[in-house]
Amino acid sequence: MAHRRFNTKARVLAALAVAGGLALAGCSGATTGSGDLDGTQLLTIPREDKATFSANFNPFSPNSMPMTQQAIYEPMFVFNPTDGTTTPWLATDWASSEDGMGVTFTLRDSVQWSDGDPMTAEDVVFSFELQKELLGGFEYLENVTADGAKVVFTYNTAFSPGLFEIGQQIIIPKHIWADIADPANETNSEPVGTGPYTEVTNFQTQSYSLLRNPHYWQPDKQKIEGILMLAFAGNDPANLATTNGETDWADQFIPNVQNAFVAKDSEHRGYWFPSVDAMINLQLNTTKAPFDDVAVRKAISMAIDREEVTSVAMQGYTHPADCTGLSDAYGTWRSADVVASCDWTTLDVKGANALLDDAGYPQGADGTRTLPDGSPFAFDISVGSASSDWLSVANIISQNLAEIGVTATVNSPDWSAVVAGYEDGSFDSGIVWSNNAPTPYQYYRGVMSTATVLPVGEQAFQNYHRFGLPAADDLLAQFAASGDDAEQVTVMNELQAVYAENAPLVPLFPGPRWGVYNTTRFTGFPSEDNPYAPLSTRSTTAVLVLTTLEPVVSK
Amino acid sequence: MRFVLRRLGFYLVAFWVSVTLNFLLPRVMPGDPISRMMSQSQGRMTPEQVVQMQALFGLDNRPILQQYIGYWHSLFTGEMGVSISRFPTPVSEVIASQIGWTILLGSTALLIAVVIGNLLGILAAWRRGGVLDSALPPILVFIGSFPYFWLAMGALDVFGVVLGWFPLRHAFSAGATPSLSPEFIGDVAMHLVLPAMTIVVVSVGGWMLAMRNTMITTTSEDYIVMAEAKGLKANRIMFRYAARNATLPAVTNFGMAIGFVVGGALLTEVVFAYPGVGFQLLSAVTALDYPLMQGIFLTITGAVLVANFIVDMVYVRLDPRVRAS
Amino acid sequence: MSATDASEVVILAASAQPEKVPAEPLPGPRARREGLVRSLLRNRKAFAGLVIIAIFLLLALLAPVLAPGDPSLITSLGAKAPSTEHLFGTTPKGQDVLALTMWGSRSSLLVGFVVGLAATAIAILVGLTSAFYGRAIDDGLSLVTNVFLLLPGLPLLVILAAFLPRGLGTVILVLTITGWAGGARVLRSQALSIRGKDFVAAAIVTGETRFRIMFREILPNMASIVMITLLGTVIFGIGAQAGLEFLGLGDPSVVSWGTNLYWASNDGALISGYWWAFVPSGAAIAFVAFALALINYGVDEVSNPRLRTARRRPFGTGTEVAR
Repeated sequence: MAHRRFNTKARVLAALAVAGGLALAGCSGATTGSGDLDGTQLLTIPREDKATFSANFNPFSPNSMPMTQQAIYEPMFVFNPTDGTTTPWLATDWASSEDGMGVTFTLRDSVQWSDGDPMTAEDVVFSFELQKELLGGFEYLENVTADGAKVVFTYNTAFSPGLFEIGQQIIIPKHIWADIADPANETNSEPVGTGPYTEVTNFQTQSYSLLRNPHYWQPDKQKIEGILMLAFAGNDPANLATTNGETDWADQFIPNVQNAFVAKDSEHRGYWFPSVDAMINLQLNTTKAPFDDVAVRKAISMAIDREEVTSVAMQGYTHPADCTGLSDAYGTWRSADVVASCDWTTLDVKGANALLDDAGYPQGADGTRTLPDGSPFAFDISVGSASSDWLSVANIISQNLAEIGVTATVNSPDWSAVVAGYEDGSFDSGIVWSNNAPTPYQYYRGVMSTATVLPVGEQAFQNYHRFGLPAADDLLAQFAASGDDAEQVTVMNELQAVYAENAPLVPLFPGPRWGVYNTTRFTGFPSEDNPYAPLSTRSTTAVLVLTTLEPVVSK
Repeated sequence: MRFVLRRLGFYLVAFWVSVTLNFLLPRVMPGDPISRMMSQSQGRMTPEQVVQMQALFGLDNRPILQQYIGYWHSLFTGEMGVSISRFPTPVSEVIASQIGWTILLGSTALLIAVVIGNLLGILAAWRRGGVLDSALPPILVFIGSFPYFWLAMGALDVFGVVLGWFPLRHAFSAGATPSLSPEFIGDVAMHLVLPAMTIVVVSVGGWMLAMRNTMITTTSEDYIVMAEAKGLKANRIMFRYAARNATLPAVTNFGMAIGFVVGGALLTEVVFAYPGVGFQLLSAVTALDYPLMQGIFLTITGAVLVANFIVDMVYVRLDPRVRAS
Repeated sequence: MSATDASEVVILAASAQPEKVPAEPLPGPRARREGLVRSLLRNRKAFAGLVIIAIFLLLALLAPVLAPGDPSLITSLGAKAPSTEHLFGTTPKGQDVLALTMWGSRSSLLVGFVVGLAATAIAILVGLTSAFYGRAIDDGLSLVTNVFLLLPGLPLLVILAAFLPRGLGTVILVLTITGWAGGARVLRSQALSIRGKDFVAAAIVTGETRFRIMFREILPNMASIVMITLLGTVIFGIGAQAGLEFLGLGDPSVVSWGTNLYWASNDGALISGYWWAFVPSGAAIAFVAFALALINYGVDEVSNPRLRTARRRPFGTGTEVAR
């Protein structure tokens, strides 16, 4: 009766719903992944730090879209930190002047912008002018002038590391940017560059493609059709896409990469994490006692089990640091002598205890130490909550320090609060990055030069631990002024010795530069056996990879 | 109508309070956006650039009252400023590019949950003691008890990865161009299934229970007995008499919920990489992007207030008792 | 429940029809309260819920005994599947999952219940005062309540949690601030309908102090609604805390179910297939939330006899409606 009719109605509705669902399932046919590969497939790269994309290809903006500075715009040369080589790019040659007060670049001829106009030395001059005006830097640069196909850079002080900064500056077209009224606020959604993939196509908030530059100066190296960037809100979804084989090249942090990623298709998949990023340190605020005591800094360093830190917290992706504090990007600069005589970066709990006892930090009956004035030897380690791997590092360090009677408490608010504490010098200690540049000059300058020391309360953007040595200043000045390679090596060795003796901070491990690849659809990726570039999609070296890759064509 | 005026007055005051809170909140937070960017770059940004960028972003240093007045001014001109974390894209463009997806996901999930939940609730109440009434509510509540992200990740794993029935991310297949063609709409629908269904599954239990309990009380009223005594058909009584009165609280809740749809579904967007305003807000907050934060907050507050106002008006039409009080 | 929608509390609480008083108030406050508890224990659903909660509370209290030591100690064991030595396996950082789950219950239950009690206390205060004093005070408090209701909960949670110092105190504070308004609205409507009753008018006339009337006359008759609000807010507290911690906005140094899930995700337990690191904490939250929902069910049924499971009448009329 009434019920039965109602029941029938419900059943019919349900059936319709199911049928509708099935119909919709049939409707969409789009599938990702491999199928027939005809060579026009796009190189798919995920980005986990930009949940959605906005059409901003302004190379001067810190938030420009991925590949702006890698595939759209190019520099004069490309420096590869994994093997220390420099590849001429928009410039074919360069020569530093004898007195170290300048450098002259010879530009490659017949390079065109993606709109067909030729690239000239005027563009280079304009690029540096605009860069200086918008973002500053290059304080040593006095003048940039065009001289036919050459560009002459003159300095106001001798600064040999300037070569790399100048060489890796991206070049922009003057005929476009000179007409822009407000270059800082320009979104540049249809960019014109010299790079291999400049044509922005099908821009959506969740993805966009970059297709071939029709006027590229190396057309034989544009073997892949283009790049497809995918947006993700965090590591997890990006990792899911990568482990599922839907991306070709990725460089976000993947935990347990061997089992989670490589093992699923070990024939095609691989990873390589060369430790060429900035050295990661435990920075101790030397304006606070007892961190001004070098014995304390070395003792703390000796108590840390760097093996555990790198194998558990960093999942074996990197290795412990040594007494030079240099990351693997500086392999050619590393002083063998300093490394051989190194004694404070290997685990030595007994030694640490002995050092602290001798230096006057007595251990009480309960095992905890006190400072000479009687207060407990306890401090905070600050690290931003968003970096879970560094958080684990801090936790392990805290466990290690308990063994020598030092109480270290991990304090992990959001990064902005942590960095605020670093900058004004109110922090105790923290897990901090350091400067990273083609030569170790900026690293040591940021670690122990008095020029970078700012008083507590004044906002600093490097040398948070506020440590400076006049001896280091002299050596750094010598290095900057010298144009002679052999002299630079000698000076750098001395700098490393000064560093090893004074332990301005506690180096932990060199930062790994992440990168995984999948050769199902593209081949030619760099690897440990073929280190022509690191596997990062975000560094200048990415263009080396883009111009080497070849698509797989399956029958 | 006095009632309408009173509600309007209330909403204006609520709007003022929310806007002021919107204004104050970011300025109370410690740190500044550029240092935040510096920490994220982990050494790739040089210290010299930081100083320059502070000027570039034009961070406001005027006295706070002036900033407040300027803020109100910009509200009325619709100028929400330029986002810091997505410099130099304007805030309105950032929000506009994703608000469509947010509304699509949120309202689809909400509508399905409300319709299914209320229908189930009505049916469960009508057939007390039946399968629907005794088995389904506990099951639905149990499923809804799991933390949402846990369920979402599980669903993604089972239905997306293992079974491969549904796409794993995004609003439509990467590389497709949005259009109104049936293929594209079908593609969007397929991508919508997992995110929307997980939201539905978690929330339908609540709607069902609420409706069921309200219905039960309603069906015990005298006028229902009278209707039965008069010989009206069961269907008619259930839908046209009992359910109509029982939906009143549901309407209020629906109104609230539809306003919040604009706020996005943060956890859904994270797990399914679905473009949306929710995650946008989280990343704006962590990047200390004040203009974007304020813009999104404003959008949410505006939408919620408007939705509530509309619901209030609808409620007045539905329930004569309110007019009388 | 889901951290996506803080108005879940409103929906749950609305299940008790605030517009109508569900049951006639029994005489005297004390007799009413005892009656409620005893009848709860007799109700099957509530009893099941109470048993489950009791088990978890016991586990939480006994965690230091059952799993001594620091459960978050990082070792080089690596992730191991469940075995006799580690019943729930180990995490990628070599921590025992069973120990983490047991210790996690302490923080999660603590935060959940404290948030529930605090938010409900505020809701009672605001709701009762608003209903009893009426007019200007009612308008003012209603405005405050509605503003808090209309503030988008999750973004506010995110902002507050991101910038206040890390710690359980912050989480509790943040969740209380965003969680009290729903209950206040419900309690206010309920208090309003009770206020209109004769015995309240009688109490006013006989000169009882306002405070006494509010807390000794009106409140006891709202016991079931208060209970429902409390349970709903506890569920909200536990779920929202887990959501916040999963996003990395909680205190990662505290062992709780939410941070267990956060670490499981960040240490790659999911994509490596180490499901045992991810399942127990999520299931624990589900069981506790479900148990509280069962108790809620029970309170509903006790206070509104019409909601009790109906038995089909043998002499059927055309429709089956519980009376």
